[in-house]
Amino acid sequence: MVKLGKYSRSVSIIGVGCTPFMNFLDNPATEGLSEGEVFGYAALAAMEDAGVEAKDVDFYFHTQANPYMGSDYITPNMQVADWFGMRGKGSAHHSEACCSGYLALDLAVNAVASGKFDVVLSGCVDLADSLPVANMPAHMRRKFSFEEFIVSTKLIYDRAYSRPLAAGPMIAFDDVAAWYTHAYGLTDEKMDDILNAAAINNRRNAAKCPLAINRTEFKDLAKENGFDDVMAFMRSPFNPKLSEYLRISGFETKCDGAAAVIVCPTEMAKDFKGTPIEVLGIGNAAFEGSQAHLEMRGTEEAVRQAYEVTGLTPSDIDLFYANDFIITSHLIAAEIAGYLPKGEGWKYIMDGRTAYDGDRPINTNGGRASFGHAHAASGMADIFEAVQQMRGLCGERQVKKLPKHTMLRGFGGGQNLAAIILGALN
Amino acid sequence: MNMEPIVKRFYTSLEEGKMMGRKCKRCGVVEFPPVIACNGCSCTDMEWVEISGKATMFDFVLPGVMSTRPDNEFLQPYCYGCVELEEGAKFNAIVCGVTKKTKKDIVPRLPVPIKARIVQKDGYKTVVFDLVKE
Ligand SMILES: [Zn+2]
Repeated sequence: MVKLGKYSRSVSIIGVGCTPFMNFLDNPATEGLSEGEVFGYAALAAMEDAGVEAKDVDFYFHTQANPYMGSDYITPNMQVADWFGMRGKGSAHHSEACCSGYLALDLAVNAVASGKFDVVLSGCVDLADSLPVANMPAHMRRKFSFEEFIVSTKLIYDRAYSRPLAAGPMIAFDDVAAWYTHAYGLTDEKMDDILNAAAINNRRNAAKCPLAINRTEFKDLAKENGFDDVMAFMRSPFNPKLSEYLRISGFETKCDGAAAVIVCPTEMAKDFKGTPIEVLGIGNAAFEGSQAHLEMRGTEEAVRQAYEVTGLTPSDIDLFYANDFIITSHLIAAEIAGYLPKGEGWKYIMDGRTAYDGDRPINTNGGRASFGHAHAASGMADIFEAVQQMRGLCGERQVKKLPKHTMLRGFGGGQNLAAIILGALN
Repeated sequence: MNMEPIVKRFYTSLEEGKMMGRKCKRCGVVEFPPVIACNGCSCTDMEWVEISGKATMFDFVLPGVMSTRPDNEFLQPYCYGCVELEEGAKFNAIVCGVTKKTKKDIVPRLPVPIKARIVQKDGYKTVVFDLVKE
């Protein structure tokens, strides 16, 4: 079993930036934005937040889920540097698809904790609503069909065995829903209500989050479509099932976006403008897509490492985020992390206690279905939201108790798992 | 350095009607599908073994609109199962013979016995499972 060592020096987040998560092609003000510019705007926002300029940043990490398909390039870190004043500085690109945004923080923290660098930026971008137009400059992008999208999603699965066995990529949508329903003796109808309630809670959060893509509450959508009862609307063909359990309200909304973070040694953090948030520990695991119940197994291991290295326990966690591109993820991740009691978490969701104004808030920005999902950037957008919540800057969606410790559970890329614990400094 | 092409032998064996895994000589774990090193104990001393095909399914989900692929239509009706071979390997695979109708009877009986079968896909052979009548 992996036993994490303590960081050689404490590292804190001093700046965060996040663009709106939206479809840039659909708005005249954003139409034509290229991936380099979007990355640059997020990076510059993080610098502004920290009160640093590009000359103060020693190194940066770049992530994008699938740069070859998404942007027609294979060395993105090289190609974006000039956009935010980092010409000539060292950089590296990485991709763990939808887990990239979490490992983006992990890599930056390690680079500072090691002593090699003092100020490191880590940025994440994906223009997931469009594709590059072949052989044209970067401002020209086009919409694409679901069939084109499906071609790329299979690429995250092992091609020696998983794709030929043909189950790993498909079971992912419902693996947790089926297991949870059977394990706790629920009916399929009950699980449907639980997932719908989770979507309603997430949308209530997004309604109060200006950066989110889907901000109309389901109760209002229900009324618009002639339903007095929001749950009746959620069970209706207006909210179709995509797989055995998953409805469209619980599935990621693909969109464009970028987010970035700047970290430095905690002992230096007070010299900068932004209120620092310490990165206390990050656990990691990974299971290829044909491994049975991989999300649960990987989350257990990542969370175990994070608790062990920080010495914290589940009762210390005040706020929780999980990549919920399949909405069961935030239920199962929160239970495995001990943030919700095992087998009982669904009751908290049904009672609305996991919304921003509840006592066990989860995904206060709205999660992947409502905040939006710009693959590699989404995890970092969650880190942005977590930092702003811990600073008390979230206005009307600010959680009731100022969080002292926040856990973020990363998931994605067929599949990587991460468990990040952030801590407020006294 | 002995660099045996493991993937190639797996698929060549399927053409010959055999499902081959690799057994760890140190701890006895059987890797299926086969890989170079043992994920149970890290040992690299592995030997090829033919697996019996006897297995159980311990969880499953039914396919839906988004989780159905045209190239698997010939296998309908089927589900996506979490399977465990009698040799011990666990992985996700297609299990044939499960329908919405039979789901209710199967869930309370999990894990249920299944049996591996070699099927022809477009250009290669692969492995699926069938429910075994108890
Ligand atoms: Zn072994």
